[in-house]
This record gives sequence, C-alpha cells and structure tokens, in this order.
Amino acid sequence: MKQLMTGAAALLMSVALAPAAFADAHGGYTIGVSNTVQGNGWREEMICAMRAQALVEGDVTGLIVAHRNTDSAGQLEDINNLIEAGVDAIVLNPSNPDALNSALETAMEQGIVVVAVDAGVTADGAYILSNNQEEYAYLGARWLFEQLGGEGDVVYMRGIAGVSADTDRDNGFQRALAEYPNINVVHEVFTGWQQDQGKQQMFDFLATGIPFDGVWTSGIDNVIVDAFLESGAPLVPIVGADNAGFVSMLTEVDGLEGAAVTNPGSVGGAGIALAVDILNGNAPDSNTVLVDPVLWENTTEEGRATIEAAQNPNLDPEWPVSVEIPGWTDYTMEQIIACEGPGEG
Amino acid sequence: MSAWVRKNAWVLGLLVILVLLMGLTKAIQPSFGAGGIESLARAALPFAFATAGMAIVIIVGGIDLSVASMMAVCAVTAAVLMERMGGVPALLIALGVGIAMGAINGALIVLTRVPDIVVTLAMLFVWEGTALLILETPGGATADWLREGIRGFAFGLPKAFLVTVVLIALVWLPIRRSKLGLSIYATGSDELAAFRSGVATGRTRILAYALCGLFCAMGGLSLAALTGIGEPVPGPYLLASVAAAVLGGVVLGGGKGGLLGPIVAVFILRIIRTILTLMAVDPNVTTIVEGTIMVGVVIFGALVTTRGRRTA
Repeated sequence: MKQLMTGAAALLMSVALAPAAFADAHGGYTIGVSNTVQGNGWREEMICAMRAQALVEGDVTGLIVAHRNTDSAGQLEDINNLIEAGVDAIVLNPSNPDALNSALETAMEQGIVVVAVDAGVTADGAYILSNNQEEYAYLGARWLFEQLGGEGDVVYMRGIAGVSADTDRDNGFQRALAEYPNINVVHEVFTGWQQDQGKQQMFDFLATGIPFDGVWTSGIDNVIVDAFLESGAPLVPIVGADNAGFVSMLTEVDGLEGAAVTNPGSVGGAGIALAVDILNGNAPDSNTVLVDPVLWENTTEEGRATIEAAQNPNLDPEWPVSVEIPGWTDYTMEQIIACEGPGEG
Repeated sequence: MSAWVRKNAWVLGLLVILVLLMGLTKAIQPSFGAGGIESLARAALPFAFATAGMAIVIIVGGIDLSVASMMAVCAVTAAVLMERMGGVPALLIALGVGIAMGAINGALIVLTRVPDIVVTLAMLFVWEGTALLILETPGGATADWLREGIRGFAFGLPKAFLVTVVLIALVWLPIRRSKLGLSIYATGSDELAAFRSGVATGRTRILAYALCGLFCAMGGLSLAALTGIGEPVPGPYLLASVAAAVLGGVVLGGGKGGLLGPIVAVFILRIIRTILTLMAVDPNVTTIVEGTIMVGVVIFGALVTTRGRRTA
C-alpha cells in the first residue's frame, strides 16, 4: 500500500513537473500526431514511422499521438486538444479535406506548423506530403513495357473509378504508354481494390483465351499471381505494390518476373521530418510535397538483393514492406519495428 | 436542503469530479483556460445531444442502438439541403427527419412487440444505409451562421455550452413537468402498473423514441456545424452515449435518472480525453483508461446507493 502511495505521489510529481521540463528544453520541439483509422496495417506503419522518426530527430523532445477510430468531429477534438497541449507542429492523416479547417486554422494562427500526410487538406498554409501516385504508376508501367521489349499487349488493372489516387495513377500510366507506341492495352478493368474481385476478373480474362504479354496492377497483385498459378496459365511479367504477400512471391514463385512499386506508410515519418525542417526554418518552396516511389524488380541480381534486404521476419505481414523512404527517413528497421517515440518505452 | 442534496447527490458528486478534473487539467497545462474550455464545449456538443436522447429512451425502459446512424442521416440531410436552400428551412427539415426516424423506431417496437434492442439494432443498419443513400461520400455544405453559432463566446460562456444547455432544457423541462414526463417515468418504472393506472404506455414509448430522434437530429446538426460538411458514416456516439447516460445516474432498466447528470458526465468523459492527450498517454492505453474509469465510477455509485439504502 505504502509503495502504491509513493508511486502515486511520484506520478503526480512528474505530472506537475512535466510542463516545466518542456519549457526548459530550448529548441526542443513537441509534435502532435492525429490519425483516425486504427488497426489497418498501412496506418499502423505510418504511426510507427512517425514515432521512429521523432526519436531520431535530435530537435524533437516530445511526441503526442492521438490515434483512434473516430469521425471528423473526433479528429477536430483531437487537434484542439493537441493545440491545448502546446505542440509546435501537428502531423495528421486527415479524415476529410474540408472538415478540419476550423481547428487547423486555429493551430496556424498560433504559429503551429501543420503537415497533412497521405491526403490533402484545404486549409490555407498547411503543408501536404503524400506519395507521388502518378510516379508510382509511371515507374511500374515503364519497367513493364521495357521488360516486353517495347511491344506487346498488356492488361491494365486499375483501382476505383473517381478516386484521386486512381486518377493520378492513370495519368502516370498514360504517360508511360505514350512513350511506348507499340504497347497496346488489350483489357482495362477496375478491381475496386478488392482482392476477390481482381482475382475473378483475371480468371475471366484468362478464360477468353485472348493472348497478352504482361499485367499492370494498382496494388491488387498477389491474387493475380494466384489466378495464373491456379488456372495453369503461363506466367507473364506482373507489376504490383510492395505488399508483403506479393514481395515474397517475387522471390519464391518460380518463373515469375515482376516488380513491386513502393507505396510506403512510412510517409508518416517523412511528415515528421518535414515538420522539423519547417520548424527549423527550412520550409519547402511549395506547400505540396510529393514523395517519389521506388521500384523493386526480381530480374536482376541487384534487384533481387534489394528485395531480400527489405524482408524481415519481424516485420508485421500487414505492413507495406518498404519501411524506409530514402532521402526522408533516418531511422533503422529495428527502430520502426520497436515503434517507440521520444519519451516512451 | 439536506433532502435536496440527498436527492441530487449523484449529480453533485459528478460536478465535484468535473471541477477536480478541470483543476488537474490546469495543473498539467497551466495555459489551459477559456480557449480550452471553449473547445471542450464544442467537442462535447454531439455527445451531449446523443446522450440526452439515449437517456430519455433508457428512462422509458428501452434503449436505442441507432442513435449514431440517425445523427448521420440528419447531418447529411442538413448538409445536402443547405447547399440548395436557406439554412433555416433545411434545419427544420433535418429536425423533422429526426423526429420521424425516432417515431418509426418507437412505433416498430410498440406495434411488433419485438424487444427494443433488436428493433433498434436492425434500424441502425437501415438508417446507416439511408445516410449513404443521401450522400455517398462526405460533402455538402453548412450555413455560416450555424458554424459560427457554436464557436466563441456569448454572455461570458462558450456558445457551444449555451446551445447544449438551452436546447436540452427547452425541450426537456416542459415535457418533464407535463403529463408526458410523468408517463415516461411511470412506463419506465413498471409498464404494467402504469398501463393499469391509465397511462397510454404504447404512445408514451413512441413519443420517447421520437424525442430521442429529435435530440439525434440536433446531434447531427452539431456534427455538420462542427465540420462544415455532412459525413454519412456514423461516428462513435452509440457506446459513448450509453456510457454517459449510465455514468450520469440513469438506471439501465428504466424509471430513474434525469438529463442533468448525463450532460455533466459527457463533459467528464471529454475532459478525461483532453487530460490523456495532454499527458501524452499511449493512444492504445487511452481507451482502456476511459473504460476503466467508467466501470469504476459506476461500481462506486452502486456501492454508495446500496449503502445509502441500508442506512436509510
């Protein structure tokens, strides 16, 4: 009992002294994080990348993470609480581009740096950092067309019509297509980013017997390989994303030539890095910053080595495999797996 | 005086806890002041209305699992209409839609005699689908005066707080003092006894659910006012409203409790989240802490009540 009382007293003391400690640390930044989807592999990687990056940034002394499943009103509440907590910057994955403006504007009026990662916000003065989806599609499509020797027929498996990521990716795909005039799209479908739907669409197309030489997918990838294997059709080059299932297929499936293009959740870590840059007076020229993806292919020694290096048995199978972003994040793979921010653990 | 204190002991206790928690917040973050309380009042707005609606149906002896979905329907209705017409008619239509949805819930329960929990669970999905039908993706617009009406201060108090208190009092106080109020408590205490005493229990329950729908409409409107848009996917208001109602002294099973306690409880639950954010507690632990505090307080309350009964 006495121990309990001492513990409680110590806790109260630390609570009372904590703000003073923050005030003393000169130049030490406290960063607030807000996210509204919990339990999704991509988002969890994003949060862990934020923590790991905050840990290795020398100027960051505190990280407050508001991470729960909620609606826009809940995210407004979280952002207002972060403002009350006196953070220097807020890095958020916005639930909606328009709904958060009242809180974000209040934050910026108080000199708090606002960085939205993964999706945009319409509040004036906020920075937006996201994966470059146009480049994502261009890189993969160019590799595929190159692999086919610049001529042949390809199947183009898109995401969801009307979603901005799909529109951006289509622009990139069309750009690559324009560079290779002898490449034809024999079949174009929307998978809805649904595994079962994409697989069925591939079964259906294989059943038509129309010949084709390659497949570009918008991230519904491992089930497409499954469709080839299950129907006994000869494999063609396939482009997918850096999902754990597809990346391991690139090393394990005999005769599969393919490439994974990264769409990292670790863009959250890049958001922390950007926020620190802005706080230190190194703001980028434009309020919108795009992170360029990387392509991993299994047709060269070098490419296979990259894929081997990216795989780590300790990595959550639900996470995208690319846990680091060259030029942006500075943490090690152990640090992101540990998922501990400054002042935690 | 002492009788009044004993009668309102639960609410007074909650108020003491709220004041203590505000003091703790101030201790953790010395800059916490008027601005912090104002944003707290805004955050509490949708929870307060959902809780008021939930408390009334629990008092009448039921439960409504569809509150969050009804809020979503009213929010998207208001956001879609306000893009096309004036704010006031759109607001009135949204309130009407809320009352209608609540009345449908109540009528289905009374007419089919299927338990409340089953009917409203089914209606949760019906209203959720309705909201998506009205607006597939978040969008629409909100009248400026509605957005401004809950921001800032009036008469030295946060506008959001005044809106909460005035609207709930305006609807609830006249009803509580009327025959309908008495019927709601009587039906919740013992439906058969109430029926035999001449209370139209079926009609009372339908009206109680309609009132819940009205408060859900206010909750939905406050969501639209907070975000400036309508979101068709329901937020986390169902469990939060049950929790606040129980914490506020409304007895699950019906017949006991008021609306003041639950509203104070809403503020307590919101300020706990603020404190946990200020202390940078791990977000996964936050949910556990919130749940534990709720269970703890309810157990404590039950102990106090039973002991009080023994000594009395």
